[in-house]
Amino acid sequence: VFSWPRGGGGSDEFEATALPHLDALYRSALRLTHNRAEAEDLVQETYLKAFKGFHRFNPGTNCRAWLFTILRNTFLNRVRGAGRVVSMADTVTGEGEISATREPTVPDNPEEEFFQTVLHGDVDRALRTLPVVFREAVVLTDLEGMSYREAAEVLGCPIGTVMSRLSRGRLLLRRALADFAREHGYSREAE
Amino acid sequence: MTCDELRARLHPYVDGELGVDETLDADEHAARCPRCAALVESERRFRRLLRRQPREAAPPELRAQIVAGIRRAARRATIRRWAPLPVAAAAVLLLFALLPASRNGDVLVAQLVDTHIAFAQIDDPAEFRSTDRAEVARWLRQRAELPVPVPDYSGAGIRLVGARLAEVRERPAAYVLYQKGYVLLSVFVAPGSADEAALRGERVSYRGHDYVVRQQKGYRTVAWTDGRMVFGLVSMLDYEALLECADRLRAERATAMRA
Repeated sequence: VFSWPRGGGGSDEFEATALPHLDALYRSALRLTHNRAEAEDLVQETYLKAFKGFHRFNPGTNCRAWLFTILRNTFLNRVRGAGRVVSMADTVTGEGEISATREPTVPDNPEEEFFQTVLHGDVDRALRTLPVVFREAVVLTDLEGMSYREAAEVLGCPIGTVMSRLSRGRLLLRRALADFAREHGYSREAE
Repeated sequence: MTCDELRARLHPYVDGELGVDETLDADEHAARCPRCAALVESERRFRRLLRRQPREAAPPELRAQIVAGIRRAARRATIRRWAPLPVAAAAVLLLFALLPASRNGDVLVAQLVDTHIAFAQIDDPAEFRSTDRAEVARWLRQRAELPVPVPDYSGAGIRLVGARLAEVRERPAAYVLYQKGYVLLSVFVAPGSADEAALRGERVSYRGHDYVVRQQKGYRTVAWTDGRMVFGLVSMLDYEALLECADRLRAERATAMRA
């Protein structure tokens, strides 16, 4: 069987530059779509678009932010195009995973007790309760470790906007997590 | 810095996004205000909690699919966006007209490859040097007594250099020379039927036309016959480029025959 020569068309440089960000893009796609199949599809489309637009990418600039911007725009186009709300299918985290993420206690700050009872999956569950604008600010900065500037580039908004969305997003997330923690507590008491 | 001022900057402060002056001011305030210090510490812990979330990797199948998709797109792009072909090298297009047709396609292609390699080693292989397609076609028509198509590949950065006559299998041949960097590309043409051509190799279809492709001595060949002429391309360029060249050659010839 005839096979095409590898690496034709200049995909090598793109693969070397863009593929290292696949895991981060996939995680964020999961948090945007809440659905594995949709997330995979979204990431695939993102990479194809990025490859086709790679001649517009300025080498030496932030490839991750560039890819996240494409991911985000692709997601938004899909949501708008389909005229539907984002699928809320609960498939992001394996249900039933209960290994607790433990934080040291801060005795003189009872507000923080819930940190100990945050379970795997709780953060993603809590994120889902956030409006998208706050969710994406938290995901990019807190979960993917982007700077405000980088997140602003992806979100296409001023740095000050990232800051305010992040503050609000973290507050909402804390409240949601505290609620879950109380649920865990009640369920333990009921046993 | 006051409590209110610190609270207004709480998030950029814990994220290390404040300027040096403001950071030092905030440090100073937190050092003497236990309530603000607790707030800052609580926010830092929360931030660490988020950062410590499991970082799931993409499934290996997804990675494989993406790589395959990119490479498919790369191949299509090479053909479609012919112009920005990332070949930093020369393309020499040799157009041979063989009189009469070869009886052994396999030997023919092997000999075309050898001829191509031989010409590739000549500093200035063009016997008739011209960048004018009409002039080159006229020269070949006079010398080889064949209507030889001279396609325009300038959109791909492949420029016409000239033409020359050669001998392949002890018969006169003609070729057109193009250059792009240092990559070489030869297209051969011989009058003759498909049976006489007996080309060997893998059969592929491109834009509705059938070609026979094979690789030897590091050069790729694409050959075909239209019933009256046998054509062959030899090059280190990839198959996409060769097939696109072939397609344009076909189009050029079809136009010439209608005229």
